[in-house]
Amino acid sequence: MNILAQLIVSGIVVGMIYGVIAFGYQLTFSTSKTLNFGQGEALTLGALVGLSLVWFLTARGLGIGLAYIVMLPLVLMFGLAQGAVVERLGVRQAIKNKSEAGWIMATIALGIIFRNIAENLWGRDALKFPSPLPEIAIVVGPVRIQPMEVVIVLGALAMMLAVEAFNRKSIFGKAVVATASDRDAAGLMGINTGLVITFSYALSSMAAAFAGVLIAPITLAGATMGGVLGLKAFAVAIIGGLSSGLGVVVGGLILGITETFTGYYISTGYKDVPGLVLLLLVLALKPTGLFGKAVIKKV
Amino acid sequence: MKSWASAAALAAVFVWANQACAAESIKIGLTGPFTGGSSSMGVSMRDGAKLAAAEINKAGGVLGRQLELVERDDEAKNEVGVQVTQELINKEGVVANLGYANTGVALASTRFYQEAEIPVIDNVATGSIVTRQFLPPEHKANYVFRNAANDKIQSGMIAEEAIKRQGFKKPAILADATNYGQLGQKDLTAALGTMGVKPVTIEKFNIGDTDMTAQVLRAKEAGADVILTYAIGPELAQIANAMGRQGWKVPLIGSWTLSMASFIDGSGANGEGAMMPQTFIQAGTTPRRKAFIESFQKTYNIDRMASPVSAAQGYDSVYLMAAAIAQAKSTDGRKVRAALENLEAKVEGVVTTYDKPFSATDHEAISANIPVFGVVKGGRVVLAHPEDLEGDKAIRTKTGS
Amino acid sequence: MLVKTAIRTLIVAALVIAPFAVTSPYYLHLLVTIAIFAIVALGLDIVFGYTGEVSIGHAALFGIGAYTAGCLVMHFDLGFWPSIVLGPIVAAAFGGLLALPALRVTGPYLAMVTLAFGTIVQILINETVDLTNGPLGIKLNTPFFLDLRDYGDTWSILDMSLKRMRDVEYFYVTGIALLLAVLVINRITASRFGRAFEALRDAPIACDCMAVSVYRHKVMAFIISAAFAGFGGVLFAFSEQYIAPNTFSFDLSVQFLLAVTMGGRKSRLGPILGATIVVFLPNILADIALFRIVVGVIAAIALCVGLYAVLRRRDLLPKLAPPVALCILFFVLALTMRSITDFRLSIFGLMILFVVYFLPDGIVGAAKILLRQITPAFRKRHASTQAEGEASHAITVTTDAVSADALLEVRTAVMQFGGLRALDKVDLAVTAGTIHGLIGPNGSGKSTMMNLLSGIYTPTSGEILFEGRSIAGLGSSQIAGRGIARTFQNVQLFGELTLLENVLVGLHHSYKSTLLDVVLRLPRAIREERAARQRAADILSFVGLRDRADEEARNLPYGKQRLLEIGRALALDPKLLLLDEPAAGLTAPDIADLIAIIKAIRARGISVILIEHHMDVVMGLCDVITVLDFGQKIAEGQAAAVQANPRVVEAYLGGAVAA
Repeated sequence: MNILAQLIVSGIVVGMIYGVIAFGYQLTFSTSKTLNFGQGEALTLGALVGLSLVWFLTARGLGIGLAYIVMLPLVLMFGLAQGAVVERLGVRQAIKNKSEAGWIMATIALGIIFRNIAENLWGRDALKFPSPLPEIAIVVGPVRIQPMEVVIVLGALAMMLAVEAFNRKSIFGKAVVATASDRDAAGLMGINTGLVITFSYALSSMAAAFAGVLIAPITLAGATMGGVLGLKAFAVAIIGGLSSGLGVVVGGLILGITETFTGYYISTGYKDVPGLVLLLLVLALKPTGLFGKAVIKKV
Repeated sequence: MKSWASAAALAAVFVWANQACAAESIKIGLTGPFTGGSSSMGVSMRDGAKLAAAEINKAGGVLGRQLELVERDDEAKNEVGVQVTQELINKEGVVANLGYANTGVALASTRFYQEAEIPVIDNVATGSIVTRQFLPPEHKANYVFRNAANDKIQSGMIAEEAIKRQGFKKPAILADATNYGQLGQKDLTAALGTMGVKPVTIEKFNIGDTDMTAQVLRAKEAGADVILTYAIGPELAQIANAMGRQGWKVPLIGSWTLSMASFIDGSGANGEGAMMPQTFIQAGTTPRRKAFIESFQKTYNIDRMASPVSAAQGYDSVYLMAAAIAQAKSTDGRKVRAALENLEAKVEGVVTTYDKPFSATDHEAISANIPVFGVVKGGRVVLAHPEDLEGDKAIRTKTGS
Repeated sequence: MLVKTAIRTLIVAALVIAPFAVTSPYYLHLLVTIAIFAIVALGLDIVFGYTGEVSIGHAALFGIGAYTAGCLVMHFDLGFWPSIVLGPIVAAAFGGLLALPALRVTGPYLAMVTLAFGTIVQILINETVDLTNGPLGIKLNTPFFLDLRDYGDTWSILDMSLKRMRDVEYFYVTGIALLLAVLVINRITASRFGRAFEALRDAPIACDCMAVSVYRHKVMAFIISAAFAGFGGVLFAFSEQYIAPNTFSFDLSVQFLLAVTMGGRKSRLGPILGATIVVFLPNILADIALFRIVVGVIAAIALCVGLYAVLRRRDLLPKLAPPVALCILFFVLALTMRSITDFRLSIFGLMILFVVYFLPDGIVGAAKILLRQITPAFRKRHASTQAEGEASHAITVTTDAVSADALLEVRTAVMQFGGLRALDKVDLAVTAGTIHGLIGPNGSGKSTMMNLLSGIYTPTSGEILFEGRSIAGLGSSQIAGRGIARTFQNVQLFGELTLLENVLVGLHHSYKSTLLDVVLRLPRAIREERAARQRAADILSFVGLRDRADEEARNLPYGKQRLLEIGRALALDPKLLLLDEPAAGLTAPDIADLIAIIKAIRARGISVILIEHHMDVVMGLCDVITVLDFGQKIAEGQAAAVQANPRVVEAYLGGAVAA
């Protein structure tokens, strides 16, 4: 029982990380029907830029906690800018050409370039990201959890809720929703859909950068940290469905918990397999994802 | 007229000088992962090797010729390793090769040097079979040498330390799913077997995994009293951190990669006390080592070496190969190989002083008595048992094995 | 034709001579690797170029081929020949396993599934240690068939060492394999299957409505592609002599994709060129001197081509200037760089971006377009047709039994989209041999009815009987197979196919030859193709487009496109033809042609349902007219009666006439 609870908690933490990255996929997919295959690298860059900022601030005498808080908005801004660059360089042209392979190849290419830049600027080794909170586990009944892990779960939820609220309340957010439901009609209504798509990419990378600085204190920060996470989050986005914000959270939790369960009860070697099989199953049975809406063919 | 003649003469001198330079350098391949996950080993190895080559060249080179290291990144990928190997042999015309940090790449690539009769020193990769692929009498001669502590040696040392020296009874093995981890895991299981101990559980994980809860819980449930590891830095850090999170304190003993900076930094307090066999520790225990460490720090403008073992072995491998070429008085692969198998001069390296390091049947320069145990303390690797390198034991030379 | 033969002879001659020109075993091995990558890229092109789907899982299929060879050697001591047969079969089986669920989705979803598949395969190879030797990998030897050393003395100019002979021989093996791959792919793409692959990419819905199941053909394309990947994998295993799981990774899949994109889709030369570049790339990126030379040469070529093209056609300047300038800038950058190893991946990434931006059709595609622009004589070549069309042979339906029973009967059909009820309990009966008009204001449910009848939608409730059998719930291609053909309100032609090929897709059902017949070019396949081409020419004559048979459909004026759609639908030999606003956007002379054609169709006994807004067309042609409004049937009868119906007038004029 103790172990079961512990596994579920660990699964939730991992799942929320997947979820927040997948949330980024969902944002761009809804507006442009494209997504960033370099999302993992957006996370990497966010974490590394955050690390440099924390280094800089603590060297100026700030405490680590305060440095972390000061760093957050700067990293979020960096994420926004990085996402906009990806969209402008990689996706815009491909959308114009209506080329399916174009944006896939271009975002993969940008991911490769960003990873290489990260390698050259921050070195090839994984680096320790100083934790803003004590690294001593809190004991809640049978479960042991680090304060930072609690922050990950809450932070990820807060980020997603904030973006959702923004999309529902602000006029710009409404433009995003309008573009998502029908790009051509939105364009005819005078919405600058190109700008909206750029913005959705910016938000998406911001989510990834945020995820980066959230997890870096408990993992490590390094040029290769994003790759695997980006791919896992892909699976999550597909399982949950690319049309639903709730879907990616649930998808993330499902995958995270499946992984820890398989690891413990079956074999750690096959840890990744059930998640991927689940992905194939979902696609075979409900291709738009568990929470996806069916698309009406237009003739 | 006169000016024409002098111009022509000058031109002739230039051409000659150019040709002389081109003809003079001795090309040695340097292969390793310079990008990607295991690149800290590859880059440290490369930097160590370059340092040695620069020193040798400054002192006049070998056979009156300069050494030229031809660097190629194998990206830790087998097929890239194969491709750069063929390129080094057939296009660059190297007379020898140094390198490899990944056993898989070494296995895929060394075959081509063997065919081309070009000697190779594997200076980082530890898979036991790397040097045993082409043993005589099946093959005429073996061209693959090594100056790193292979997995047999390391796993033996780990088992010895855990079971005999520290008296643990229920070890759990955690290894990554790569060639490196799985081969090491087998050697480790075998080494434990000779002491009559069976690991209580053997767990696996992938490169890039960030959550080791399942593995650690399984080991804990199995009642392990010590964790033995075979993996690389970042994932090792995740293991230590997962243990810390579970509030589970058992010693961590594992292969030499526990000295990687990514493990030490990434695990912080959780990694304190982890132990691993080391051929080299960043500590100036002899003047030679001191000079090497200072020169390395100055040249590359760093304080702590990312992978001191790789740097030291990379450094030594150049001296070993240079000594063999000097003794062979030739760059012919067969002669250099013969010279390596019968090195007359003692080669004073930073890992050890190599006194007849290789023979026709033994291609391992590092014997089980050379590595010592390092322990992570205050963010650095220090000697676990300081008595190991005291006095005349500071330089541990190879014993006939 | 002569030029083609000459080029082919030259290529084969170059392959024969190559090992004697390339004496370095290193470069010979590179050539072998290029051939292997080219085979995989050519196979990938079937999926990626023809059907337009992105697979990031081909490295796994490649790996399955390689491991089939590895396992056969390791466990059963079987060598090259069993492997080369079994490898493609096993890979094709796995490809099918993947494709069956995966190809129900498209775009990023498919990319994701193939990616997941690749990861699973890699994990399985790593974990099933008993079968695959796990992360340790498998060693094998390059096969050796003919020992010619006995003749060594007579050929003393050549290096006859065993190793050299083995290398040369294996070079020939892969060379022949590549030629075979090109031949087989040429035959497949020129067949009805190749046309189906292209058609489903351009207009999937129309394709299904031509009784060419999109899903089935996608799966088929994927399986063929997988077989080639497996074939390449076997060759690779024997060439590298060592295989390990981490070789067959995501990166390798990206390289295959890059080879196809960069070289140029839908061609043989493109993937081969792309494979050459991808294989050589690490070499170029490893050596700064070589890198500078290569980049310099590329910049020079770009400059020359650019200048030449601009001199010929001034207006190309703004289009060509950026890529040429970037090439030159890149060269300058290369000159200023001191080391290259650290930035290799960035350069690789920049190259992909460059291709995406400036060479969306790849090098071969761009060259073709440029050539066409500066020398108008150069046209995209399509297999032209010699067959003369005979319009009277166009329709071959035998409608001997014009029974009084309804050919089509719709009973209380309801179509609900969320809160919107697009069709509300509509009944419809179409008598055989008649033209049945379907009119109503915009949004009245006419097109929804068409989509129900052609299987694009499944009715929420109600029945649809065709020739007395229910067709509700059947897929589009099945319904088309029963004999209902249609055209589309917004024309859905297969744009990159010629007119003739468009009609040939409609004739897909008339073939019986299998893929094997096509690949082996058995008499049946040749005979059927010839017959179909004749028939297609007949149909084109019937709709008056015979003289433009070899043009690409997208270049046709709008009015003619509508006529072509009718021709394509007729190729299906339908019993019922659904025409969705065929006169929309047509000029007066075109409308006259159209009316004549529709009348001729009815004269041959084919029933027609006609949706049209041109009232004179409807009133002049239709035997019976049904009027819909807000999803309900408000009137039905002969033209005059319907015109006089007050409810119809009200629906059209919007309540002006009160009840």
